[in-house]
Amino acid sequence: MSKQAITLTVNGVARQALVEPNQTLTSLLRDELGLTGTKHGCGVGDCGCCTVILDNETVNSCLVLAMQAQGREVLTIEGLAKGAELHPLQQAFVDAGAIQCGFCTPGMILSAKALLERTPRPSREEITKGLSGNLCRCTGYEKIVEAVQDAADKMSEA
Amino acid sequence: MLLPSFDYYHPQSLPEALSLLGEMGDQARPLAGGTDLLVNLKLKKLAPKVLLDLSGLEELQGNGTDEGLVSLGALNTASRLASGGPEVPGLLAMGAGSLGSPQVRNRATLGGNLVTARPAADICLPLLALGARVVLAGPSGQRQVSLDGYFKGPGYTVKEPGEILTHVLLDAPRPGVGGGYQKLGLRQAMEIALVNVAAHLELEDDGKTVALARVALGAVAPFPMLSPGAAQVLQGAPAGEKIFTEAAEAAAAEARPIDDHRGSAAYRRDMVRTLTLRALRQALSQAQGSKEEQA
Repeated sequence: MSKQAITLTVNGVARQALVEPNQTLTSLLRDELGLTGTKHGCGVGDCGCCTVILDNETVNSCLVLAMQAQGREVLTIEGLAKGAELHPLQQAFVDAGAIQCGFCTPGMILSAKALLERTPRPSREEITKGLSGNLCRCTGYEKIVEAVQDAADKMSEA
Repeated sequence: MLLPSFDYYHPQSLPEALSLLGEMGDQARPLAGGTDLLVNLKLKKLAPKVLLDLSGLEELQGNGTDEGLVSLGALNTASRLASGGPEVPGLLAMGAGSLGSPQVRNRATLGGNLVTARPAADICLPLLALGARVVLAGPSGQRQVSLDGYFKGPGYTVKEPGEILTHVLLDAPRPGVGGGYQKLGLRQAMEIALVNVAAHLELEDDGKTVALARVALGAVAPFPMLSPGAAQVLQGAPAGEKIFTEAAEAAAAEARPIDDHRGSAAYRRDMVRTLTLRALRQALSQAQGSKEEQA
């Protein structure tokens, strides 16, 4: 089966791409659209590095076929900042030192964003549950949890 | 990790999907959430020539209640089930909520969990305890199969390759009925249970006597299993610690665990006893709670 054309919305912009049936959404974003903020980690849905928001729900983009994104809306880490102004979650991660190597960060922030949309003032337990699909091998998670708490505080004040 | 090559079909109706499946036989695999199937393709455990994406099938979506019977579409995601709602029994919501991670729950489906049929499947155990039936659609029509009798082995069920699991049928949640779900693992998320237990209790109008009970055990047999011994001990007896301890003993005796790298058979058997007791306590508290709510 040859490549097929698909259309989808990525970070609010309508995009078109030619994709193979066996191409994943991770590959579509990184290789076809040049959005390399989405990381390719384990490839089997364990690490969460490839997390994106598909129609308002977080998914492991390594386990979604590019063709399954036809007509749908994808939000990647590149869609969060407004120009030079970082999203409050991004700023909180920087301020708290929640980023070390940075590989898990895009997925971590998108999972945190989905969590805060459902639960604007999460408890510590709700944060760890909400981020349970994202592995970090550097930070030990403490500063990540702090960053999400800080961002939640700032976003609810605003 | 790369996917092997395959052709991708996106049928728009159940008859179309069944006819494609009929033409291609075991060369084709239905694709729902993909959280198991795509992993197995990447790990080269499976190499189908065709993936049939079921997401376009209206027939597999949506839930309804008719005369005390709930029908749940096979494409319900674990997240959707975990968030509960009037049609979803609390026991099923608990199991679905303990599956994988948020990202996995947003894709993994009811039908996928049943077809993948792992011995510790977080959605299968509650459904087995709830006495659910599955609806299988095939070239010659539909058939209903009780879950007690549906599982044949790890990843192996009575579903024929030409059939598609379309719905799950179960009794609507009602007062005096409660469920408990207990999952033991080494970590609290993204975990396959070392042992898991789902218990379902129905109380008589007196709010005390057990009218009907089912206890389902996971990871202690080649597929999710019911403990007939536990059910027998409980039925007709006054709910409480004494009878729950006896039922837990019966469940432990009937479990058929093996030693593996995750735990020994002896440990698993002990844990069946402990988790069954906890699940029954949880089920009783839910059953009595739902009774008071009504009163």
